[in-house]
Amino acid sequence: MFYQQRFDVIVVGGGHAGTEAALAAARMGRRTLLLTHNIETLGQMSCNPAIGGIGKGHLVKEVDALDGIMARAADRAGIQFRILNARKGPAVRATRAQCDRVLYKAAVRAALENQPNLSLFQQAVDDLLVENGRVSGVITQMGLKFAAPTVVLTVGTFLGGKIHIGLENYAGGRAGDPPANALARRLRELPFTVERLKTGTPPRIDGRSINYSRLQVQPGDEPTPVFSYLGRREEHPRQVNCYITATNARTHDIIREGLSRSPMYTGVIEGVGPRYCPSVEDKVMRFADKDSHQIFVEPEGLETHEVYPNGISTSLPFDVQYRLVRSIAGFEQAHIIRPGYAIEYDFFDPRDLKPSLETKHIGGLYFAGQINGTTGYEEAAAQGLIAGLNAALQVKDEEPWSPGREQAYMGVLIDDLITRGTQEPYRMFTSRAEYRLLLREDNADERLTEIGYRLGLVSESRWQAWQQKREAIEREEQRLRATWLHPQTPAAQRLETLLGQPLTREASLMDLLRRPEMSYSKLMALEQAGPAVDQAQVAEQVEIRAKYAGYIERQKNEIERNRRQADTPIPQHLDYDQVAGLSAEVRQKLQRVRPATIEQAGRIPGVTPAAISLLLVHLKRLRAAGS
Amino acid sequence: MVYHPQDRTGRPLTAAGPGDDGDTIAAQATPPGRGGVGIIRVSGPRAGAIARAVTGKELSPRQAEYLPFFDSGGEVLDQGIALFFAGPHSFTGEDVLELQGHGGPVIMDMLLRRVQELGARMARPGEFSLRAFLNDKLDLAQAEAIADLIDSSTEAAARSALKSLRGEFSRRIEALLEQLIELRVFVESAIDFPEEEIDFLADPQLRQRLDRLANSLQDVLAAAGQGCLLREGMNLVILGRPNAGKSSLLNRLAGRDSAIVTAVPGTTRDVLREQIQLDGMPVNVIDTAGLRDSGDEVEREGMRRAWEEVGRADRVLLVFDDSTGFGTQEKAILRRLPAGLEVTLVRNKIDLSGGDSRWRQTDHGPSIGISAREGLGLDVLKAHLKQVMGYQGSGDNVFMARRRHVEALERARAAVERGRRQLVEHGAGELLAEELRQAQQALNEITGEFDNEALLGRIFASFCIGK
Repeated sequence: MFYQQRFDVIVVGGGHAGTEAALAAARMGRRTLLLTHNIETLGQMSCNPAIGGIGKGHLVKEVDALDGIMARAADRAGIQFRILNARKGPAVRATRAQCDRVLYKAAVRAALENQPNLSLFQQAVDDLLVENGRVSGVITQMGLKFAAPTVVLTVGTFLGGKIHIGLENYAGGRAGDPPANALARRLRELPFTVERLKTGTPPRIDGRSINYSRLQVQPGDEPTPVFSYLGRREEHPRQVNCYITATNARTHDIIREGLSRSPMYTGVIEGVGPRYCPSVEDKVMRFADKDSHQIFVEPEGLETHEVYPNGISTSLPFDVQYRLVRSIAGFEQAHIIRPGYAIEYDFFDPRDLKPSLETKHIGGLYFAGQINGTTGYEEAAAQGLIAGLNAALQVKDEEPWSPGREQAYMGVLIDDLITRGTQEPYRMFTSRAEYRLLLREDNADERLTEIGYRLGLVSESRWQAWQQKREAIEREEQRLRATWLHPQTPAAQRLETLLGQPLTREASLMDLLRRPEMSYSKLMALEQAGPAVDQAQVAEQVEIRAKYAGYIERQKNEIERNRRQADTPIPQHLDYDQVAGLSAEVRQKLQRVRPATIEQAGRIPGVTPAAISLLLVHLKRLRAAGS
Repeated sequence: MVYHPQDRTGRPLTAAGPGDDGDTIAAQATPPGRGGVGIIRVSGPRAGAIARAVTGKELSPRQAEYLPFFDSGGEVLDQGIALFFAGPHSFTGEDVLELQGHGGPVIMDMLLRRVQELGARMARPGEFSLRAFLNDKLDLAQAEAIADLIDSSTEAAARSALKSLRGEFSRRIEALLEQLIELRVFVESAIDFPEEEIDFLADPQLRQRLDRLANSLQDVLAAAGQGCLLREGMNLVILGRPNAGKSSLLNRLAGRDSAIVTAVPGTTRDVLREQIQLDGMPVNVIDTAGLRDSGDEVEREGMRRAWEEVGRADRVLLVFDDSTGFGTQEKAILRRLPAGLEVTLVRNKIDLSGGDSRWRQTDHGPSIGISAREGLGLDVLKAHLKQVMGYQGSGDNVFMARRRHVEALERARAAVERGRRQLVEHGAGELLAEELRQAQQALNEITGEFDNEALLGRIFASFCIGK
């Protein structure tokens, strides 16, 4: 039967992609339905309960700048906050929050339940309704049909999942959950390219069995950072420590002895795992000269004793896991609560997606999250938000929107996926971004909030807050440019002690702030330079913009130069065989990716500047022939 | 379609087409060589400013003026004719400047460097024509020709530019690239993986590596400045079976007896090279051991070297005896040549066969008859070589490609130097990283793509990363 109510957007899956997608569509005023096989697991942190980190924290701030839930939930659930790279320059600083799993889930659930225009329904989805190449709804496990012109699929954890512990394996989703097999089978019948990936988790340990006196303490930062632009320290629950220990020679011996029963080293696992987050057996084998590897001992919450030993992901048989864990300092008496395992799962080649994350083969159908070959909550959330907002735009027949690489890490993420595909679980790193100095955690609001507001994604209150901040920044910059200090004045003499050299000619406060040895707070300590702005976020922006001014300008020029290419569309169904002069190899690559713009085409590996010129000539001829 | 938010603010679109990245481009429009007049052509928004800086005055559009060209210090570089065309009434539809000076390579080089210094970059193959086409200055019928130009010249130029550099030079560039990548692996992993037990930014080794890279770049550029890069010449490799007359041809081209010429097959056991001048432009002629199966170890070694030379060739002259004709052994040689390498067939010994020296097109490439012993047909051969090696016509050629390389090396050096200062003076690792990325982009133009993904691959292979 058909469910009576019609929806604009149906989101399938309630993980980090699904919740952001549903919230985004609903914020934009579309009638939205979130379908999940289990409402209790909405917003579940299925792996390590931490949000953020280098590159990932950047994504979270961007989701926040577009009024997504992730940063706000992390502020309510974070039990240890740190700023990574704090001493390395603002562009590469990133926030990381260790979270209480239960509190996080509760924060997300509350947001979902209180979101206008959003309905929840608990049923697994088994099939899609497709008519004339367009999606028209979904069918649930019990045969119930829901109709909608757009569907966002976020069923990544885990499609066709197969769990390995030692040489044993069985079908399964995220530990404890059933795999989405009916849907996986159905999707395999559609014209998408399906590939297989692998990931793993460590055994979880009962914290009461850990000897913490043998571990190194890793406290959170003081003062405690906040994640959301609108977040407040008072929202944080009680803060706790993390700890560090390490593997040793004996651990490595135990691992080597167990390899004959490792599914990875005996060829049972075929999926490709990530290069950056190897299992502990991989670390020992690939880096044989290292006699120790760090383990970060992270609490899973305030009300649980479960501990996540980050760094010993493994799929070795349980008896080996048991011995290797107990060989580690502090873990001598450790009790394992859940065994570690590896999981293989399906993903769909993201080169079959448009920048909006709509699939190229089926209109109105969007994919977001792990289904696209990514790993990580943050990567999932970013895609969910983009897919949800584009589904919402499509319902109203509006142009799709997706940020460019120069605008957001979200743009880097999506462009990498749809242009290059991925051979391993894709994770964000700052080195993936060309415009790293522009894409900072501290300015995601500057980059995105206004656009989000115009798209209808950002609430009035966030918009007001950002406008106030922006005006305060501009006012202060104006003041610094207009206030001059003159040599041979008392202020100049005090300045000399700060600069280590005399002021030789008059200088504006802005000139002085640009000097490497100067900081905003030092400058404001001068009586003649104040008063300083009282909002820390404003002072920070003024300082960073002054310090990076030259680099920001250079990167902006670079962007400007690429703009015309970015603004030159390539028809989706262009016949590349008709483009004179292209080599067979380049032709094939262009056909696989079907880039949306000349600029995207230029970023496909192996597509040369000459090939781009040939494409431009061809497009011009097409236009001339058409007119 | 992706659109960018700036569009919603109604920012006016510029008139320039999508193929135009806003750069001003420059190239020598006349064939390189010792010819009388050489023309440097400049196109793009800075052409007017460059004209003012080089000539020291405001030029009236479309009026030729004879005047001095100045360098940055106000010294006279050359006397010549300057012509300015304001867009859209120009060949490319943009502002165009033409500087006609004395055609020698040294002056042309200095003029090109001068316009580069003023903000122009070296044009890519076919780029002037591409801009002209995109700005409606060429009609549709000409589009096909442009596609051919971009296609063939790019491939040929890229191939020859790197390969024809003496082995040592390309090895040095490879070594530079490797040094740069290693540095970036250090710097980027320090940024992306701060929780690993590595903080390379604080490591004194980093500074030493940076100094080494800066020095290597400096050395390579100094060498290039002395001219061995720009004026090194084309590599022309003479192939053929034993006693086909390769050494005689070399001697004829070189004008003296450098190879021992005897009637005994297999006389040339090593590789002989000569630099000859065709209208003032250098050509390295490399004579190789005769290609045949041999049990003689010395001779086998000679053949191995012959094939090595082929790998660096811009063009092959395949010499055979006209009286026996083009046979299975010649075909076998052709099959072993790298794809895309151009070949000219040389029908030698026409004095004995009674053949003629006419140029003909065959299935295997152009063919020319000569007698190396009697000196017949050599003028036809030389004219042919001048034409195919880009000394005639204004298409792209290996000299342009090499100038682009020098320009890229200079950009890399400047970026490394800025990065070094950021680290040493301000401890700004993320800005060092940014400068090294710029340096990488510059070197990529010479050595091909090395992207973020490849860099991450190197990081994960070098360090055990990830919790």
